[in-house]
Amino acid sequence: MLLQLNHIYKWVKQGGKRVFLLNDISLDVKEGEFISIMGPSGSGKSTLLNVIGMLDEFQEGEYIFNEEPVHSLKEKQRAKLYKEYIGFVFQAYHLIDELTVYENIETPLLYKNSKSSERKALVADMLDRFNIVGKKDLFPAQLSGGQQQLVGIARALIAKPKLLLADEPTGNLNSKQGEEIMELFRELNQEGVTIIQATHSESNAAYGNRIIHLLDGSKQHQTSN
Amino acid sequence: MLRNYIKIAWRNLLKNKLSGIITIGGLAIGLTACTLILFYVAHERSYDSFHADSDRMYTVEAQVNMGGDTIYMNAMNATVGALIENASPSVFSSLRLKDEYKPVILTNTQQPGTRFSEKDFSYADANFFDFFSFKLLKGSKTEALTKPYSLVLSQDMAKKYFGNQNPIGESISVRKDSTYLFTVTGVMENTPSNSSIHPDFVASLSSMPTMNDYKRDFDSEAFRLGSFPTYLKLKNASDVKTVEKTMQELSTQGNADATDVYSLSLLTDKHLNGRDASNTRYISIFPLIAVLILILALVNYLSLSTARASLRSKEIGVRKVNGASRKSVAFQFYIESTLYVLLAFVVSVVLSVVLKPWFFGILGIEIDAVFFLNPTFLSILAGLLVFTILATGFYPALVMSAFNPVENLRSSRASKMGGVRLRKVCTTVQFVIAIALLVSGIIIHQQLDFVRGVDTGLNRSDVVMLPLQKTMGTNSTPFRNEIEKLSQVTNTAVTQYPIYKGYNMFFVSSEHMPDAIGLPIFAVDDDFFQTLDVNWELKPEDEHYYSKSEQVVINEAAISKFKLGSNPIGESLLFGNSKREIIGVVKDFHFENLDAPINALALFVNSKTQATTNILGKSGGCLFVHFQPDSDVSQLLSQIEAIYTQYDSATPFEYQFLDDAFDAMFRSEERLSQVFNLFIILAMLIAGLGLFALATFSAQQRVKELGVRKVLGASVIQLTTLLSFDFLKLILLAILIASPLAWYFMHLWLQDFNYKTTIHWWVFLGAGTGAMALAILTVSFQAIKAALANPVKSLRTE
Repeated sequence: MLLQLNHIYKWVKQGGKRVFLLNDISLDVKEGEFISIMGPSGSGKSTLLNVIGMLDEFQEGEYIFNEEPVHSLKEKQRAKLYKEYIGFVFQAYHLIDELTVYENIETPLLYKNSKSSERKALVADMLDRFNIVGKKDLFPAQLSGGQQQLVGIARALIAKPKLLLADEPTGNLNSKQGEEIMELFRELNQEGVTIIQATHSESNAAYGNRIIHLLDGSKQHQTSN
Repeated sequence: MLRNYIKIAWRNLLKNKLSGIITIGGLAIGLTACTLILFYVAHERSYDSFHADSDRMYTVEAQVNMGGDTIYMNAMNATVGALIENASPSVFSSLRLKDEYKPVILTNTQQPGTRFSEKDFSYADANFFDFFSFKLLKGSKTEALTKPYSLVLSQDMAKKYFGNQNPIGESISVRKDSTYLFTVTGVMENTPSNSSIHPDFVASLSSMPTMNDYKRDFDSEAFRLGSFPTYLKLKNASDVKTVEKTMQELSTQGNADATDVYSLSLLTDKHLNGRDASNTRYISIFPLIAVLILILALVNYLSLSTARASLRSKEIGVRKVNGASRKSVAFQFYIESTLYVLLAFVVSVVLSVVLKPWFFGILGIEIDAVFFLNPTFLSILAGLLVFTILATGFYPALVMSAFNPVENLRSSRASKMGGVRLRKVCTTVQFVIAIALLVSGIIIHQQLDFVRGVDTGLNRSDVVMLPLQKTMGTNSTPFRNEIEKLSQVTNTAVTQYPIYKGYNMFFVSSEHMPDAIGLPIFAVDDDFFQTLDVNWELKPEDEHYYSKSEQVVINEAAISKFKLGSNPIGESLLFGNSKREIIGVVKDFHFENLDAPINALALFVNSKTQATTNILGKSGGCLFVHFQPDSDVSQLLSQIEAIYTQYDSATPFEYQFLDDAFDAMFRSEERLSQVFNLFIILAMLIAGLGLFALATFSAQQRVKELGVRKVLGASVIQLTTLLSFDFLKLILLAILIASPLAWYFMHLWLQDFNYKTTIHWWVFLGAGTGAMALAILTVSFQAIKAALANPVKSLRTE
C-alpha cells in the first residue's frame, strides 16, 4: 500500500457554519495504480490532490503515506517526505518564467542538494527522454503549451518520485497535445510510477485504471477499468 | 544553488528594468549622499590623527582672567617649552611653531621679478619633522631646520618657485620690515587636508632672535604668556594632570601673583573643539541628515522590493512545491537583496568619486582624494554596506518565505499583494522625511536671508574694502588721492583692520569702574562715519574734534558697560596710563558676528592725513571705498587695481565687498543651507521614484478591477481618481506628521540666533502643496495610463 486516507474531513468556516471541502473521504492507493479523480468544478478534486500532496492541511482523519502517519508528522518531516516521493504537474504548468527549460527541470534537484555532476546527468537523461534537448536553453515563454507541460512533467519526474499528482494536466492544451500527454502518463505508469490525476474529461479519465467521482467533497462512487 | 539564485535575480532585474533601475538607483542615490557625508564627517573627525603619536600630543593653553573676561591664549613665552621639558620627566619633547601674522613677500633670488605674497609661513624648532609626522622629501630630517635662516618648502611651493629645478641650497628672500635671505634646506610633502597645521613654508625658529620684529620675544626667561604656540609630546597620555600641575608651579615660581591657569589640550581635539568652531558648527547635524537619507533610501528599497516580490508569488509557490523549504526561499531573497545592494553600492562608489569635487565645491571644502583610502573611512563604508545588506534583506526574505504555495498557485495572477500596510507606512515615512527636510530647508534659507538683511547700524552695500600691506608705505597718500578722484567713488575711509575681521583690545577703566575691562578699539579717520553711514547719538560739537589727541568716541553699549552718565561727553576713560576724554557717542553698530549682543567699542579718530600716512601706510590698514550704487563694479575694480599696482607692486591686489565680508560670517549656516538644498532634492527624488514605482505596481495589480469597472461604465477621470486617492491620503498624513516635527527642530535651531526669523504658516502650506503636486504628478501618470488601457485586453488575461 502506497497511501491510505481514512475518513478525511476538511472544512472552512463561513458565517459560523462549516462548509465541507472534503467530506469523509477514504481512499487506498497501491503502488503502480493510475487513478483519475472526476467531478465538476468545486467538487474538491484539487483540494484532495493538495491533501494527498501534503500541500494542504485537513481537520480530521488519518493519512498514512508509505507507512508514515502524515497527520501526526511535523512540517519538516512532511516536507522531507514529499520531496522524496511526490511530483506535481499543474494545469497552468507553473514553470518559473525566468529560468530556462534546463534550469526549471533542475530545480527540485537543487532543493535535494544533489551534486552538480549528478544533476547534469539526470537532467540530460530527462531532456533526452522527452526529446527536448534542443529546447533546453529556451525560456518557458518561447515554448508551446504542450511543450511547457512536457517540461512540467519532466520537472515532476526528475527527482524520481513514486507518486505523480496531476491537477488537470491537459486543461490548457488542445486535444492532440492532451492526448500525447495522456499517452506519456500511461507509459510512465507502465514503468511503475503511481499516478493520481484530477480531470474534467471522460476520455482522459479513461486512461486510469480506477476512476473516483467526487461531488461537493464527497466520494460518490468509483469505477474500475 | 547560489548560482541559480543569482541568475534568477539577475534575470528578474533585466525583466523589470524600470522598477529595477528605480530600486537600485534610489538606493544608490541614498548611499552616495551617505558616503559623501560620512566622507566629510570622517575627514573632519580625523584632523591631526595622522601624526604617529597623536594620542599624546598637546598644545599648551592658558586661561587668563582680565577684567572679568576669561580669555584663552595659546601663545607662550619662548622658554616655556624648554622649562616644562626640564621640570617634568613626563614630557617627551616640546616644539614651538609660530605663524607669520600677515602675509610675507617671497622672491626666488635668481628670478627677482617673481614675487608672491604668502600667507602660510611659519617658524619652527629644529625637531619639527621629528615631532610631527610630516614627511620630508628632500633634505635632512634632523638638520633641515637647525641653522638660522633655513627654509623648508612644501612640494607645491618648490614647484611654484623653482619649477622642476632642485631647490636645495637655493635662496629665497623674505620681505617683511626688512628683507631676509633664507636658504632652502628641504622640501616636504604637502600637508594633508586633515591637518590643522598646514604651513607652505617652515623656517628655522633660530632665525627669529636676529629678526627685527621678533628680537624682543626672546628677552624674557620667565614661564608666562608670550608669542609662541607651544606643543608638547608626553611620554604617556595619562600624565596630563601631572604636567599641568608642573606648569602651574612653574608659573607661580616666576611670579607669585600669576593667576593664569595653564592646561594641555589634545592636538586632535583642536579642530572640532577649538575656540573657532564656525567651520564645524553643524558637524553633528550632518550625520543626522545622512541617517535620514539612508532611512529614506532603505524604506524605499523595502517598499519596492516587497511590491516586486509579490509579483513573484507564483515562483515561490512553484519552488515550495518542488521541495524548497522556507529557509531556502528566505535565503534566495536574501541573496537577491545582497546582489541589488552590491550593485547599488558599486554605483554609489562611482557616483561618490565623480560627484566629490562638485559636492565639496558647493560646500567650499577641500579634501585630499587620498582620504578615500583612509582605513577609518573604509571601515565605516564597509559597515554601511553590511548594515544595508542586513537591513534590506531581512524583511523581503521573511515575507516571501511565508507565502503559502497552495494559495499562490491557485490564482494564476499574483493577486495577493504582500505587505500592503507596510508599503503604506513606508510611503508615509518617506514623505515625512522629505517634507520635514523641505520645510527645514526653507526656514534655514529664510533665516539666512533675514540675518543678511538685518540693519546692523552701518551701511554695507556699495562698499569695497582694500586691505593694504606695509609694502604700500609712503605711497598711501597719493594712492588714496587717486582713488578718490575716480568718478564713481563717492568717499573713502580708513580703519586699522577690515570690519568683521578683528580689532585691537585695550584694557580700560573708568571712574565708576576701577577694574580694567577689555574694550575693542577701532582706529579710524573722520570720514569713517560718513562713508559707512554710522549715526551719531551725541555728535562732537567741535568740527575738528579729531585734531586734538587724548580724545575718544564711544558707542552706546560702552556707556552702560563703564557705568557712565547718560550724557557722558566730558567724562573720561583710562586706557592704561593715558586718560582720554569722551567727545562723542555713536549709535551701536555690529562690528563682529551677530551671535552676541553689540559689545562696547571705542573709536580713536584721526585726521584724514594722519590716518592715511600712519594707519594706512606705515602699518598696513584698510581702505574703505564707497562708490555710487549704479556703478560698473568690475570696471571700477580694474581701475582701482591699476592704481594699486602702480603704488604697490610687491603685494598682490586684494579686495572684499563689505556685504560679502558680512555674509561670510554665516558660512556655516550657508553651508548647512546648501547641504539641505542638495538633500531636499535627493529626498524628493527618492520619494518620488518610490511613489512612481509603487503606483506602477498598484496599477498592475488592479488591472482586472479597472477593466471590470471600465466595462461597467467608469470614466477615465473616475479611475484615475480612484487609483491616485489611496496615495494622496498617505501624503496628506505625511504632511500632518512632518509639519510639527520640522517646526520643533527649526524652533530649536533658531534659538541659537540673536536675530531670528519668524516661522510662517505658509511655509508648511507651501511645502505640503509642493509634495502633493509631486505625488499627483507621479501617481497620475501611471493611473491615467492604466485607466486608458483597453479593458478587453486586461480581462482576457484572466
